[in-house]
Amino acid sequence: MKIEEVEEIARLSRLQFDGEELERFVPRFESILKFFAELEEVATGEVEPTYHALEAGTELATPTREDEVEPSLTVEEALSNAPDSAEGHFRVPPVIE
Amino acid sequence: MSEIHQLSIRELRSAVDDREVTVAEVTRSFLERIERQDERIRAFLTVDHEGALARAKELDRELARGEGKERLLAGIPLGIKDNIVTRGIRTTCGSRILENYLSPYDATVIRRLREEGAVLLGKTNCDEFAMGSSTENSAYFPTRNPWDLKRVPGGSSGGSAAAVAAREAPGALGSDTGGSIRQPAAFCGVVGLKPTYGRVSRYGLVAFASSLDQIGPMGNSVYDVALVLQALAGRDPKDSTSADQPVDDYLEGLGAGIKGLRVGVPREWFGSGLQEVVRASVEGAVGKLKDLGCSVREVTLPHTKYAISTYYIIAPAEASSNLARYDGVKYGYRSRHGDLEEMFNRTRSEGFGEEVKRRIMIGTYVLSSGYYDAYYLKASRVRTLLRKDYLEAFREVDVIAGPTTPSLPFLIGEKTGDPLEMYLTDVYTVTASLAGIPGLVLPCGFSPERLPVGVQLLAPHFEEARLLRVGHALEEALAMECVPPDRFEV
Repeated sequence: MKIEEVEEIARLSRLQFDGEELERFVPRFESILKFFAELEEVATGEVEPTYHALEAGTELATPTREDEVEPSLTVEEALSNAPDSAEGHFRVPPVIE
Repeated sequence: MSEIHQLSIRELRSAVDDREVTVAEVTRSFLERIERQDERIRAFLTVDHEGALARAKELDRELARGEGKERLLAGIPLGIKDNIVTRGIRTTCGSRILENYLSPYDATVIRRLREEGAVLLGKTNCDEFAMGSSTENSAYFPTRNPWDLKRVPGGSSGGSAAAVAAREAPGALGSDTGGSIRQPAAFCGVVGLKPTYGRVSRYGLVAFASSLDQIGPMGNSVYDVALVLQALAGRDPKDSTSADQPVDDYLEGLGAGIKGLRVGVPREWFGSGLQEVVRASVEGAVGKLKDLGCSVREVTLPHTKYAISTYYIIAPAEASSNLARYDGVKYGYRSRHGDLEEMFNRTRSEGFGEEVKRRIMIGTYVLSSGYYDAYYLKASRVRTLLRKDYLEAFREVDVIAGPTTPSLPFLIGEKTGDPLEMYLTDVYTVTASLAGIPGLVLPCGFSPERLPVGVQLLAPHFEEARLLRVGHALEEALAMECVPPDRFEV
């Protein structure tokens, strides 16, 4: 696996690794992906994928409900853990020069 | 009467009921126990000394007025895995990124426990974001196995399992995504139940892999675990994946016996990877089931071989999406460097530990264009086959019995060098998670050096009552004296 390829996955993941970290990371990452190759042996031609552990397509797996407004967190509560906030909003580093 | 900390939830419940002890006395007894010995075991990340005592006294006043006796867990102190949010007690998920996170709301399970009269002792250690099998991935410290302090308690709910084994709490909540309740229960010699996917609300459980995560109870007896499940189970409008299925009475039929029940033993689970002492103990437990009047037959779960790959594609894929929320904006750690993009990257790189980053990377990779079909879609199809294996086996048998882990609890540091080797320890637990079926683990034997072995029992979706009935009968037949050496005084 090329370093550039790993760096691209890191970029998509919003992660960065320094050189030493990357050196340790890549071989382990590769050996895990190599291990996954065993799935190629399994014949899955017409098999439907499972995305939910309960019976797909039933009310149990995908229940619906009325869209009703209920009490929720107050603005203060929602902001109570924010690293930075102002005037009832989350505040982030400047995005425009 | 035995010392308070030696009592089961059931015994504590009746002692409180009969006013032999106050809730404050019970709570203080466990808090003192934590204070005396947890420095060596390190099961707890946060102990809510004041909150627990205040709640205990409040419960005592209510009980004195004759209120709340009918509550399922009146006066019972519990430990809570630190990935379940609790109003008033910080929730770190074992991660630096949530070091100071104080949830403004309670998880539904916490609300239910409080309503049923439970006292929250504090939050138990776990692998960061529940990603791990040894609790060594906690950003804070590893927890030690009460049976041998050089060994891991299992994971990711290792803190909960160790707390229960060491009698620092009579019961605890864990969460199980691929075995995180069952494997530490086996390693620590306690009882642990992963309910059917959807049986217990996930609202307020910090998401790891949403199609697999499930909260469940851990305790020192099957009865205790059944009692806590009774408090937890049921539909929650706040979690659309919680199932609208009637909740059985889990205590009523516990003692009904299991004569005539059909037990399946999966052929694929007794292969070369299984440590001899584990095999012998589990076979002993299966023999007991036979003595109790069950018929035992071999069943086949032919796709077992592919379970680890399937799980370690699907769970990280879901994790990579779920953990995108840690961006340094809404809560948690924020790196103070750079512009917005740089802040995102640094926050996540500094805030997450190595294993969490690895799983985000794996997940992003298997979902990325060009690889999606070969990895994620393929694994999701194999998941269907793994699920079918169980559905077919359950046409012939009522429950399945087998090992929980391939080996005895391993040494701290033994498997940290090779993530794949750590993943492989989950081989007997991930399949039930992928299929969504319930699994119960209880102690069934010891190695010569007195390390516990746990047998795993599995049942079809929503058959927790059956599972608990079998577990209860087996527990009585095995009559194990399962108390770790009491040598932790600091």
